[in-house]
Amino acid sequence: MAVGHRQGLRLARLVLGLLFAAGCGKPEAVIKIGFAAALTGDQAPQGEDLRDGVELAIQQANAQGEILPGYRLALYALDDQHSPTQAVSVAKKFIADPDVMAVVGHLNSSCTMPASAIYHQARVLQISPVSSNPQISRQGFDTFYRTCATDDLQGPAAALFIVNELKAKRIFVLDDMTTYGRGLSNELIKKLEALGAEVLGHEGITQGDKDFVPILTKIKSLTPDLIYFAGMFPEGALLIKQRKQVGLNSLFMGSDGQFDPVLINLATPQAAEGIYLTAIGSDIRQIPSAQAFVTAYEAKYGAIGAYSAYGYEAANIAIWAIQQAGTKDRTAVLAAMKTLKDYPGIFGLQNFDQRGDSLIRDIGIFAVQNGRFTFIKTASWD
Amino acid sequence: MSSLQLLSQQLANGLTLGAIYALIALGYTMIYGVIQLINFAHGEVFIVGAYAALTVLLLLGPAALPWWILLVLCGIGALGACGLLGLIMERVAYRPVRRAPRLNALITAIGMSFFLQNAIMLLYGATDRQFPSLVPPIRWEIGGVTVTLIQIVVWVAGAALMIGLQALVMWTRLGKAMRATAQDLTACALLGVPVDRIIAVTFVIGSALASIGGLLFGLTYGTINFHDGYLVGLKAFTAAVLGGIGNIPGAMVGGLVLGMLEALGAGYLSSQWKNAFAFVILVLLLLLKPTGLLGERVAERA
Repeated sequence: MAVGHRQGLRLARLVLGLLFAAGCGKPEAVIKIGFAAALTGDQAPQGEDLRDGVELAIQQANAQGEILPGYRLALYALDDQHSPTQAVSVAKKFIADPDVMAVVGHLNSSCTMPASAIYHQARVLQISPVSSNPQISRQGFDTFYRTCATDDLQGPAAALFIVNELKAKRIFVLDDMTTYGRGLSNELIKKLEALGAEVLGHEGITQGDKDFVPILTKIKSLTPDLIYFAGMFPEGALLIKQRKQVGLNSLFMGSDGQFDPVLINLATPQAAEGIYLTAIGSDIRQIPSAQAFVTAYEAKYGAIGAYSAYGYEAANIAIWAIQQAGTKDRTAVLAAMKTLKDYPGIFGLQNFDQRGDSLIRDIGIFAVQNGRFTFIKTASWD
Repeated sequence: MSSLQLLSQQLANGLTLGAIYALIALGYTMIYGVIQLINFAHGEVFIVGAYAALTVLLLLGPAALPWWILLVLCGIGALGACGLLGLIMERVAYRPVRRAPRLNALITAIGMSFFLQNAIMLLYGATDRQFPSLVPPIRWEIGGVTVTLIQIVVWVAGAALMIGLQALVMWTRLGKAMRATAQDLTACALLGVPVDRIIAVTFVIGSALASIGGLLFGLTYGTINFHDGYLVGLKAFTAAVLGGIGNIPGAMVGGLVLGMLEALGAGYLSSQWKNAFAFVILVLLLLLKPTGLLGERVAERA
C-alpha cells in the first residue's frame, strides 16, 4: 500500500516535471508498461534485477524518440511482495489505469498464475519474464506470453544431469511448497524415477523459515548422494549453509530461483563451493546478440543479475507490440503481439508457441567454482 | 547414525532454537506478569536487537578484534539499544494507556509493532541483510552428535541470562518489588513501591533479553530481515503461553519445549508441517491444561 502510494507520488512528480520542462508546449501523453515483482522482502534483489532490465529497455526506447506520435513510455512498477493476494491487487491496479498497455511480470509463478486471469479478463498483454510453471500457459489465456523455458523441461534436464553426469543414484528432493517449487520438484522426480534413480524422500519447507537444521539432520541420516532443492535463493542459501553445519557432505543441486550471486554471499562462498544449479537459459555472456545489452546494463546498474536479461527482453517485446499496434489500444497491442515472428531479441530470434511459451528453451547448468557461478553446459531434457 | 544418535542430534538442534525462543518469551511473560499486557511489539524489539548488533559489527568491522571481544561488544550494543527502546516504548506508548481499558493498550501494542517494523525497513532497507559469521565455524563430534561452536555460544549465553534473571527476580530487592507488583499493583503503590519505575525496569530487562535473542538469531542463521520479528515473535509468544504466561520459569521451559517439538516434528514427521505441529501441540496442551505447563490457576482480577 505504502509503495503504491509512493509510486503514485513519483508518477505525479514526473508528470508535473514534464509539464514544466515542456514550458509552454503541450504536455506529452504517456503509455505505461506495468511491471510487478517482489520489490521488498527477501526476494527483492531478483525483483530489482528484473525491474532494472525493464527500466533500461524503456529508457532506450524513449531515447529513440516518441513510441507513438505524441506519446512517451513510462515504467509503472509495483511491488507484489511475492504474495499471490498482493499480486492480484497489483494486477487490478494495472488494469484500472487506462495508460497501461502491457504488463511485464510477475516473478513468482504463484503470483503470475492468479494475476494472469485478471489480465486476460481485461485484455491486457502480459509477458512474464521468468515464471516457469508449465500450468500458467495451459489455462488457455491468449494474453499470456513468457520469455523463459518451463519447468517440465528444467526438471527433466536437472534429472538427466544428476543421473548421467553426476552419477548420483540416491536423491533427496526438497521444495518450498509454492506453485513453482512443487511443480518443478514433481517434474524432476518423474524423470528421476524413469531413469531408475532412487528418490529417498520428497519434503517441503516453508518460505521465510530460517531453521532447516532438523530436516537436514534427517536427510544426513539417509546418506543421499545428492540433495535437490526447488525454490528461491533465500531458503536455498540457508539450506546450503546449514547442510555444512550438520556435516552433510552430499552433492547439492538447486533450481533457477537460486541462480543469483546473492546466493553465494548468503550461503558463504565456502559452503556454496561445488553446488550445481539449473538456469532458464544458457550463459548470457556467451550469447553474441546479448553483449550490447550486457555492456549497457552493467554501465548503468553494475553487475548483471540472473534475471536482468529476461526483464529487458520481455519489456522490449512489449514495446515492439505497442509500436506495431500503432495506436494506444489494448486490443490492438494484443493483436499485434500475435503477429510476432522471428523477433530479434537478445537471446536470438524469438518466437512463441500457441500457448505463449518462448521457443528459445535452453536450460543451462552452472556450478559454483572459486566462489562464482561457472557455466558448465547447455542441458538436454530428453 | 543410530536412531539414538539421531534423536540426540535433533534434541540438540531443538535446544538451540529453543534457547532463542526462551529469551524472547521471557519478555512477553514478564511484561504480562506486571501489567497484563501482551506486548505485540516485542517481536520487533527482538529484531531491533539483531540490527543493533549488526550495526556494531559494521562499525567495528575494520578493527581487527578477536571474535569473542566483538561478540561481547555486539551484545552490549544490542542490550543498550533495546533497553533504551523498551524504556521509551513503555514511557511513550504504554504508560499513558495503563489505566484505560485493556483493549486500548493491546491496540497500542499492535500499532507499536507496525511502527517499529516500518522504521527498521526505512532505516536498513527491505532486503535481507547478511549477518557476518562472527563465530568461527568449528564443529565437534561427541558420540556421533555434531555440536557447533555457535550452538555452544547460544546455549551458554541463554543459560547464563536465564540463571541471572532468575537470581535477580528471586534474590534482589528489585526482584522482590517486581514479584510484588505482579501480584498486586495497587497494593504495592500504597505501600510505597515505586511501581512506575518497576514497570519501566521490567520493560528494559525484557527488551534487553530479547535483544540478545536477536544477536544469537543473527549469528545462528546469518541473515536478518525487517519482518523476521513477526514470525519469531509469534513463536516466542506461543512458547510463553505454552509455559504459562506470567510465569518466568514457564517461559524458559516453554521456549525449550517448543524448540525441541519443532525439531522433532520436522525431523520425524515432516518439515512441511513444522509450524503446524508446534501450534497443534499448543492447542492440545491448552485444552488439557489451560494455564500452560507451569502456570498456576489464578483468580481473575477485577
